[in-house]
Order: sequence, then structure tokens, then C-alpha cells
Amino acid sequence: MNLSKLVWRNLLRRRGRFVFTLAGVAIGMAAFVSLMTIGQGLTREIRKQAQGLGANLVVTPKGWCAYEQISVLTGEQLPEAIPMAELDKIGRVPGVKSAIPYLNEKTAFRNQPVPVIGIWPQEMRTLQKWGVESGRYFSAPDERAVVVGFAIAKQFKLKPGDEFTVRGKPLSVIGVLRETGTKDDIATFIPLPVAQNIYAVEGKVSFIAVQVTDLEQVDAVSLRIQEAANVAVVTDKQLLSSILSIVGTVGNAMQAVAAVGVLAAAFGIVNTLLTAVYERRREIGIMQAIGSTRRTLFLSFMFESGLYGLLGGLLGMAIGMLAAWLFGPYLTNNAFTASLPQTSVPMLDSGTALMTVGLSIGLALVAGLYPAYRAAKLSPMEAIHHV
Amino acid sequence: MSDTVIRVENVSKIYGAGDASTAALTNVNLTVERGAWLAIMGPSGHGKSTLLQIMGGLDRPTAGCVHLDGTELTALAPNALARARAEEIGFVFQFFNLLPHLTALENIQMALWFGGSESNAGKKRALALLDAVGLTGKAHFFPSMLSGGQQQRVAIARALANEPGVLLMDEPSGNLDSASEAELLQLLKRLHTEGKTIVMVTHNAAVATHAQRVVRVKDGRIEEAANAD
Repeated sequence: MNLSKLVWRNLLRRRGRFVFTLAGVAIGMAAFVSLMTIGQGLTREIRKQAQGLGANLVVTPKGWCAYEQISVLTGEQLPEAIPMAELDKIGRVPGVKSAIPYLNEKTAFRNQPVPVIGIWPQEMRTLQKWGVESGRYFSAPDERAVVVGFAIAKQFKLKPGDEFTVRGKPLSVIGVLRETGTKDDIATFIPLPVAQNIYAVEGKVSFIAVQVTDLEQVDAVSLRIQEAANVAVVTDKQLLSSILSIVGTVGNAMQAVAAVGVLAAAFGIVNTLLTAVYERRREIGIMQAIGSTRRTLFLSFMFESGLYGLLGGLLGMAIGMLAAWLFGPYLTNNAFTASLPQTSVPMLDSGTALMTVGLSIGLALVAGLYPAYRAAKLSPMEAIHHV
Repeated sequence: MSDTVIRVENVSKIYGAGDASTAALTNVNLTVERGAWLAIMGPSGHGKSTLLQIMGGLDRPTAGCVHLDGTELTALAPNALARARAEEIGFVFQFFNLLPHLTALENIQMALWFGGSESNAGKKRALALLDAVGLTGKAHFFPSMLSGGQQQRVAIARALANEPGVLLMDEPSGNLDSASEAELLQLLKRLHTEGKTIVMVTHNAAVATHAQRVVRVKDGRIEEAANAD
């Protein structure tokens, strides 16, 4: 006989209560884990998209809101507000290695919205290091054709030679890009002049991605661009941090909700253990009569509580990750996140996993303190006489 | 050898306070010699069990003190008192008081654990104790699977686990049929012959006749003391 055996026996005496209390802890921790996992997965995706942009500076029209800035990363439709003349000016600013325009539009294809991005074919291929999965890439900067992203080709079963209509204008699919894991997989690309023509926005683009020659000079180049042209400029880091702060705020709110669940589970443990102390009063007295110290009684209840935390934490982690994998794409489905690829299984990093189990055990131990104290403080006679 | 193992000096026990207070014991003095078999008799509610519990360190007196083998039990801190209960005293209760979710073996092992025995040694000793009380083969039975007499024998085996010098028994035969009672008395006789000090609270005059000495408790006082024979 030892402490762990005694605790295990006590836990299994009321199997229903054990299971329901454990379920409470597991569900609370699962909510916490799933929201953490979803949040972490989202942050990872956002960072990936920011890297995929390949720019050090993003030139936008003045007065854009945060949502529009976010859309730069997601390939959402954007107002076409920067005249091409400004692009020329930016290209001539000292320290600018390349300035590549984007015209972000949308079209309906088979009744589904599909991003259509007007690009400079050669410059984009150099910048993004795109490979071609099937067919070929644009051969001229104004070729009236479309190259589709990997996921779009898969979704609509498009292959080279198929017809793709952009705003009612039929274009031929000439190639499918190799998978990139970024928003480029879920977009279609046409040469900028063709896009401007179809959307009747000649001479205008949505935003401009700028690469600088010297990374140390990013801020200086940004200032020079704003002096040279009537535009706003954000660095890739500013863009990323502004998006992450929005996602972070939402994430914090979700975690606060999860924390309520975890707290409720902790109170469930308090309730279960207090009931157990009451039910086992007589046994506590018997144990004292045959030589149990108060410390042993205290430890047995703390151990019991800790076990709820450990098992609930592990179970919650498994359920939470499963829930994040199953429901994550639906929970995060909005204009921004919907455009992020959700193909990979979200995984908790080992630090977060340890923190989750640690938090669960810690909370359970705190929850166990009062019942354990009550058990240890019972006098033998008071306990034995309880029927 | 006739040295004193338990000495109760001027012990009073009052429950409650003020007008609601009740004196369970008043100025009780009692000594128990090593190896003696003492029966405490008396009407219900007159303080027999309270006296036994105070003698065993389960309860503390309002006044007075109790010495066990020269140690003042009433002055011990809770942990030291728990150790004394584990190692020097064996308790047996009327309602057996076995833990229902532990087997007979585990009930005894628990007492051994509190006495500091290692797990393996504890198991061997617990099995030997079950053999000694005639319950070979019942080691893995839960209390609910045993008769009253068998449960009481497990309780006695548990009380003997750490080889205490003193057995304190509160109505040990109070819940047994006559056959089980006879078996119990045989077992107690054997233990007494082996040198155990036995203090037994009982209502049953026939049971008390087996003791060497009988004291009566009435209205919280030792009223008379007599040898059983």
C-alpha cells in the first residue's frame, strides 16, 4: 500500500463522478488548447504570407485602413488607387531595387469568387521564384491568358487549355503554378495590362511591393518614396505587426473565454473533492485512528487533485488539438482567414504543450488545497462518529 | 512483569461550553499494567468509549493527562500522536471500521504503511497476520464479502500490524453473533497469553468475565473496580 495506490482506488470508487469531473477539466483545457492551436496556426500562416510577399516595403494609397493593409497579404480585392505614374517615380527613388505593382481584383468563376491578380509576369516570377506545375508561364508581358495557382487548379479541376472567364471575358489557362503554400496557391494571375483592360482601370494599380537594395536603409527609402510620390508606405514588419496585433486581440478574447472554462473546471475539482471529503469523513477518522498523519491525508487529496489536472490536461490537449484540426478552419473562417490555406494540421509546440499540462496540474493543485486542508483538519473522533 | 503501561491521571472531558456543556468524564484516574486484560463496563452514554478514546490519543481530555509507556500522550503534537497510534496502539471498533474499497490485505497493509513498513515486507506481514487470525485465502476479499466475525478478525489483524503493546477495543463483540463472539474471545485469549495488553469496552458481562480486571464507568466516573474472577 502506498499513497498512489490509495489515491487511485479513491478516484475509481465513484467512477461516474471521476469521469464527469475529468471531462470538465478536459473540456476546459481542450477549449484552451484548441484556441491556442488555432491562434498559433493563424500566426504561423500570417508570417508565411508576409514572407511570401517578398517585399521590404508596401506602397499603398494614402488613408488605407488596417483591413485593407491586411488584404495585401491575402490577395483580397483592393481599390485600384495608385496611378502608374507614381510607380515610375517610386522606381526611380535611390535605394529601390525593384517596384512591382499588383492589381487585386475578383471574378466569379462557376459561381464562386476567385482572386484575380494583375502582375508584371517576368518581374513576379523572379521575385516569387515560381515554378510551373503544368503547361507554361506567360511568354509576353501582355499575353491574354491566365496562369492559375495550385489550389485553384485543384479546386476547379483546371488544366492548361481550359477556359477561364474573368469578368465575362474568356481567357485560356496556359499553366498551373507549383504549390507555394502561400496565398498564390488560391489566386489566378493575368498580366497587369490585360487586367487593367478587363477591369477598365487603365493606368492604375492596387499597391506596389518594393524591394530595397540595402535592408539597413529601409526607413530612409520609405521616407524618400513618400517624398517622391503621393502615397503611403509601410514596412513588411509594420504590416506584419499590425496584422498580428489584430489577430492577437481576437486571440486574447478567445483565450479569455477558454480561461473561464478552465476556471469552471477548477471549481468542479473543488466541488468533487469537497464532496469526497464529506463522504469519506468516517474513513479519514479511521485512517487517523490507525496512524495516518495529517500530512498523509493532505497529500492524498492533493495527489487526487493533481491527478485530475494531469489526466484532464493530457486528455484536454488531445481533444483540443483534434478540435482545432476539425473545427479550426470553420472557427477562423472570415474574410481574412478564409483566404489563408488551412491544409496543414495545426500542432502545438512542445513548450505550449508543457505549459498546458503544467497549467492544468497547477490549477488542479490550487483547487485541491482547500478540500485537502479540510480533510487534514478533521479530528479523528469527529470523523469517526460521522455516519 | 507488572509495570504500568497506561496511566490516566485526573482526566476530565467536557463537551460543549457554558450552559450547553456536558461532562463526559470527571476526574478519572486509572492505571493499566503491562500484559493486563482490562474490561471497562457501564451504561451507554456514561463515558466508557470517551475514556478509551482518550487513552488511545484519539481525543484529548479537557483536563488531566494520559501516559503511555512513560510518554505523556496528551502533550504530543498531532504528528507524534499519529505515530504513537500507528506504532504503539492497536484500535478495534464495534463496527469493524474497515475501509470498504480496500481488500482485507490492503486494509492491513495500510496500517503497516502508516507504521513505516516497506511495501513488499508489508505484504508478507499482512498475509501472515491474516493467517494468524484464521483468514488464509481471504486476502483479496473486500469487507462486503466477509461476515461480521471475519471483518472483526481483519480489524484485529490490522490493529496488530505494527506489533503494538496495547490493544484498545470498543465493543469488539457488539456486532457479532455468538459463534463469532466465541472465536473472537479465543483469539483475544491467545493474544493476551502472548503478552498483549488489552483494554476492552463492553456491555456484555459474559465477555467481560474473560478479562482479568473490570472497571465500571458511571456518570463519567470510575465507580468501582474489581477482578473478574
